[in-house]
Amino acid sequence: MIEVEHLSKIYGSTPAVQDVTFSVEPGEIVGFLGPNGAGKTTTMRILAGYLPATSGTARIAGYDVHENSLAVRQRIGYLPETPPLYPEMTVEGFLYFVARLKGVSAGDRAQRVRNAIARCNLQEKHSVLIRKLSKGFRQRVGIAQAIVHDPPAIILDEPTVGLDPRQIIEVRNLIKSLAGSHTIILSTHILPEVSMTCSRVTIINKGKIVATNTPENLEASLASGSGYELEIDGDPAAAQQVLQMLPGVRLVESIASLAGGNLPENRACLRVISEPGAEPGRDIVTVLVGMGLGVYEMRRTRATLEDVFLELTTEEKQLDTEPEAIVQPSEVQGAA
Amino acid sequence: MGVVLGNIIAIYRRELQSYFASPLAYGIAGIFWLLSGFFFIVLLLGPQGVIQQAALADIQGQQGVPIPPIDVAYRFLSAFLELIGSLSLFVLPILSMGLYAEERKRGTLELLATSPVTNWAVAVGKLLGVLTFFTTLVLPLLAYEAIALSAASPPVQPGVPLLGHLGLILLAAAVLSLGMFISSLTDSTILAAILTFALILFLWVIDVIAKTIGGGVGEALGHLSLLKHYTNLVQGIFDTSSLIVFASYIILGIFLTAQSIDALRFQRS
Repeated sequence: MIEVEHLSKIYGSTPAVQDVTFSVEPGEIVGFLGPNGAGKTTTMRILAGYLPATSGTARIAGYDVHENSLAVRQRIGYLPETPPLYPEMTVEGFLYFVARLKGVSAGDRAQRVRNAIARCNLQEKHSVLIRKLSKGFRQRVGIAQAIVHDPPAIILDEPTVGLDPRQIIEVRNLIKSLAGSHTIILSTHILPEVSMTCSRVTIINKGKIVATNTPENLEASLASGSGYELEIDGDPAAAQQVLQMLPGVRLVESIASLAGGNLPENRACLRVISEPGAEPGRDIVTVLVGMGLGVYEMRRTRATLEDVFLELTTEEKQLDTEPEAIVQPSEVQGAA
Repeated sequence: MGVVLGNIIAIYRRELQSYFASPLAYGIAGIFWLLSGFFFIVLLLGPQGVIQQAALADIQGQQGVPIPPIDVAYRFLSAFLELIGSLSLFVLPILSMGLYAEERKRGTLELLATSPVTNWAVAVGKLLGVLTFFTTLVLPLLAYEAIALSAASPPVQPGVPLLGHLGLILLAAAVLSLGMFISSLTDSTILAAILTFALILFLWVIDVIAKTIGGGVGEALGHLSLLKHYTNLVQGIFDTSSLIVFASYIILGIFLTAQSIDALRFQRS
């Protein structure tokens, strides 16, 4: 449905997007994930036909976004970074305008506008001036605007920005409900959004794609975060040394505390990082108990998409070559 | 073609709606009507007004000084329309300033640019919208004129006021079209208004220069002047070249606007 090949966009001499290639199958929801300034918005704008690419091609429903711009524009719904709204219009009036602009036939307009209003939960605001709406409602009008003509492909640039947690859940459910009959690509820098709504994730950093996979596979493929956290008494240095020798253990490090709590006297906390696929939990306990140390808490840690994300977008820290990279996700986990 | 027409109508209706929802537009309308009413009184009844002049001529005629008869209705109409034309030149930049600058500032241009609408259809819809608003500004003035002209004996030829008002609409369309282009160049409405006003001044200066230097070059320059063609139409002189000049300015404005919006896509960062 959406095919992007070797897409590059260069502003002056600074590349915003470099050699980006990906595709979105019909009915799929793909998340475009990256830190601010990674080139997400630029890619979205190129897909929507708003910006021309410097090189490479992008096709939607088989039409090149640049050469067949009008054909593409008929088939997409697009929510830009800032929702394009006319403050002096009412919600309903604005949606009628957009429907007319997108070429919805006069007979279908009322039905389509009503549908979009219902889907985005705007019923109680349908005759309110957009100027008087809160940011969350404006964002929803922005989404309604993108789906009012029922386009086969929907491009959403940061759809949940500015919404409160309840609205975020509503919007995510809305997006999920659109899958199947629509192809959706959404950009975000919020990780849970991707793991909750998207069937596939493309992670972009500094204009380059660093990973593409399902959220589950991405988490699984990076075993960096999976291991155990332990609270023990006795000499942590000795324990660390012994645990390090166990098969399946890649690294043992000392950490301040588990989940940020205060540690009683004479206790220490360790993190054990296991080799991919290994489960050394049983051995760890056996060894520790054998040493006469008390185990007060032991928990398994798993890599989350956040770890993967930081792993892939943190500079010059490759997991395979430099184990230090592991420190990074742990801090996030502690805070989360 | 039907689709394009539908798009133009959609843009046109939205544009018109935004004027009638805008306090600025009502403010402009109020000032425009106030000033034009003032001009009407001064021109007709003031110490230098047409009625006074005619009365003076009458007295001179009675004293035996031979003077040509004055067509008061005609003199009033052309003088009034010329003044309204000049007044419009101050109002038009304010009407055109927001056409695209506002869309750029709000980000709604991104909606228009990613909808299945061509740039020129958007420009035409917008121009028609603002022109309709200007026409509604002018409509009440017809009441003034009706008051003055109904008393005329012999009655005024309907062609003269018709041509004059057509000229006014054409002048407005040409200036608005160029103003729309300028508005498409910037995010700032104020800057768009100032630049449009500067352009009007420039066209006016061309008119003056053309008159000063005279000769072939002067005449050629003079043909570019919107005001000269407007004055001709107001005086009831119908010349196809005037229509062509106005049409050229209108089409030029629309063309440049469409091009500038297209070019915007390539330079945007």
